[in-house]
Amino acid sequence: MALLHIAEPGQSSAPHQHKLAAGIDLGTTNSLVATVRSGQVETLPDEADRHLLPSVVYYGKTAVLVGNPALEYSLTDPHNTVVSVKRMMGRGLADMQNNQQFHSYRFAQNDSAVPRIITQAGEVSAIEVSAQILATLKQRAVATLGGELDGVVITVPAYFDDAQRQATKDAAKLAGLNVLRLLNEPTAAAVAYGLDAGNDGVIAVYDLGGGTFDISILRLNKGVFEVLATGGDSALGGDDFDQAIGNWILAEAGLDKLATHAANPVLIRSVLQHARRAKESLAQQPQTDINIEIEGLHWQGCLTRERMQALILPLVKNTLLACRRVMRDAKITNDDINEVIMVGGSTRTLLVREKVGEFFACEPLTSIDPDRVVATGAALQADVLVGNKPDDSLLLLDVIPLSLGIETMGGLAEKIIHRNTVIPVAKAQDFTTYKDGQTAMAIHVVQGERELVDDCRSLARFELRGIPPQVAGAARIRVTFQVDADGLLIVSAKERNSGVEASVDVKPSYGLTDNEIETMLKASMDYARDDMLQRSLREQQVDARRTLEALDAALAKDGDELLSAAEKDSIMQARQYLLDNIDNNDAESIKAAIKQLESDCEAYVARRMNSNIRHVMQGHSINEYSENKE
Amino acid sequence: MSTTHDILTASFFELFDVPVSYDVDLTKVQQCYRFLQSQLHPDKFASAEATQKRLSMQMTSRINEALQTLTDPVLRAAYMLELKGVDINLDNETTVDAEFLMQQLELRESMETIKHNQDGEGALDKLDELSQQVKQQVKKAMQHFSAAYSKMQLDTAREWLRKLQFLQKAEKEIDVLSAQIEDDLMI
Repeated sequence: MALLHIAEPGQSSAPHQHKLAAGIDLGTTNSLVATVRSGQVETLPDEADRHLLPSVVYYGKTAVLVGNPALEYSLTDPHNTVVSVKRMMGRGLADMQNNQQFHSYRFAQNDSAVPRIITQAGEVSAIEVSAQILATLKQRAVATLGGELDGVVITVPAYFDDAQRQATKDAAKLAGLNVLRLLNEPTAAAVAYGLDAGNDGVIAVYDLGGGTFDISILRLNKGVFEVLATGGDSALGGDDFDQAIGNWILAEAGLDKLATHAANPVLIRSVLQHARRAKESLAQQPQTDINIEIEGLHWQGCLTRERMQALILPLVKNTLLACRRVMRDAKITNDDINEVIMVGGSTRTLLVREKVGEFFACEPLTSIDPDRVVATGAALQADVLVGNKPDDSLLLLDVIPLSLGIETMGGLAEKIIHRNTVIPVAKAQDFTTYKDGQTAMAIHVVQGERELVDDCRSLARFELRGIPPQVAGAARIRVTFQVDADGLLIVSAKERNSGVEASVDVKPSYGLTDNEIETMLKASMDYARDDMLQRSLREQQVDARRTLEALDAALAKDGDELLSAAEKDSIMQARQYLLDNIDNNDAESIKAAIKQLESDCEAYVARRMNSNIRHVMQGHSINEYSENKE
Repeated sequence: MSTTHDILTASFFELFDVPVSYDVDLTKVQQCYRFLQSQLHPDKFASAEATQKRLSMQMTSRINEALQTLTDPVLRAAYMLELKGVDINLDNETTVDAEFLMQQLELRESMETIKHNQDGEGALDKLDELSQQVKQQVKKAMQHFSAAYSKMQLDTAREWLRKLQFLQKAEKEIDVLSAQIEDDLMI
């Protein structure tokens, strides 16, 4: 979109042009892509008319396979086939080694905070595996829509922490996608249902996927979706049902639990696969036969629905405990809930539906396919964000799922931003130096609810440099913790006496550094192409022309009213500089000139936004935004 | 430039177009909040250039902070005193009102007793009773704060803010305790 352009309600931007956008549900077990075409949302199938893409990537000697073709290798070649990669996003090597789920992989020992799996095609991180899945979905969308995507919305569990969100965004970057927003899965589901039903009230979204559990409470009001509270468990899902059933099978067969068979990944995967099939068929019938014939395990038996329900009941109860906590956070009781939406393949399990219905004392909504509902909502949101629906009143107000804190003396975590605070949010905190002449300091940021730093999730260490040297205790360093609309943390710091901006070096505890991302980008296919530079140049030129057009239009409208002569002068200089550079065939210099112009325009842009608000406020009655009384 | 609606510098009351008063019209605040969000939320600038994106993020962060401050009795009181230039750093001070302190002490004792002596269901009922008592005290303290503030008796108002902080902490502790008991009952 053009610089300085502010769309006014009821007035569409620029000459209307339909943009291509998609919603992507990057799931633990399956992934999906959906889009809005001629006003209809649809999930997109592959050539064989399959909508779900199994989130499985096989790294062969000569080729990388994604989805169904890769699935076949997950049993025969588990070392080189990555499944449930979502569970590895934003996690460290220790997390992997402590979880039997990941015992079938061999991990490389290196310095990076991001673990790398050793495959015959080389080492890969969870981010790169996810990028493969995203790239496959992108291709599917491009082929169906007949053009490059202008932007996508990717969904993440509401309960994902900063590291997991950042990893998802990095994966999208690697796949060459322009991410308009990371959207929380429950919110996406509510959007999918909300537009159908159009009824206002309080809803609970119960989302039990393959590897994650989310519960969110939202209030719907005239197109505004306000998340009141969110909670869950980012390591609890249908996979755990499979594990419980798998352990039962092994016990019946006289063998030890899954965890003890780390050396035999084929056995683990085979048992888990039989467990999953048994679980799925028990959603339809009261009992099912299991017959396993592999090396080291020949077993045949019958699993009844009752027996399975007893096995998974403790897990279901855990989800209900989380539901209770989240209702408390939202300050509501069961009576306040108007609807319960079921999301995720694991909500097909009858016991889950039954217990959730009992708990909320209402019949859960299941009319939209629980596997597709998230992608559907994401596509609707993407369509709005990309600018295809300038008049749409859809607005999502989301919250941060886990508190952000900093490490203080004695290894304690001091909360800076509390969980369930509406985002975006910024909090400033003042620090000082403790040594004469000190010019740097480090801040350790953690995420979680516990009091001890060690019990929270370490996010990153931020090193502030360039503090002007003063005597101990004299410096006043104001550190701003900003969480953006994607739920990602940005830290900035300023010394208040001198006004000097400190530089902030981020050392993510479980994420990629900027350098690592750069290296991966360079290595990835898209960026190796020769025409890359040409494309980038054309893009910058188009961008520059749009920027100039918008600026001229803005200046003509209110330049004299909002700018002093000197301010206008400096903007005109930057404008001329961009004009001078636009045809010199160097993408970098055009980019720099645009950046300079944007920076010179900053105060002007802010004034226009403020003046626009004043203008709209005078023209409209604020009552239009009042809450519906039920 | 007019500052009346400069989102980044206006006071929280100016932002929502309501008079500075402890008995703030929360319905109007909510309406105005929704309006501002509908205009300035980062989703409205998803395809905009970086400057606008950042401004939108900063502006909505401030709007969110303003809403949080004005809707919370303690934060609102503290903010109003800050507007008058009163130092509200109360961390190292204790209240001098002996009767109030006694009340708080008794409250904590009741919580301890419930924690150790009651069966689950009975404990929850007792806690509910306590919570109602505290809510009444909060209501009273809010009225006192409002009266003192409007008469510009800022020291008195500050004293009531301190009591409100005590009471809010007690409310939270009661919530945490009932949450624990409820969770235990479920397992």
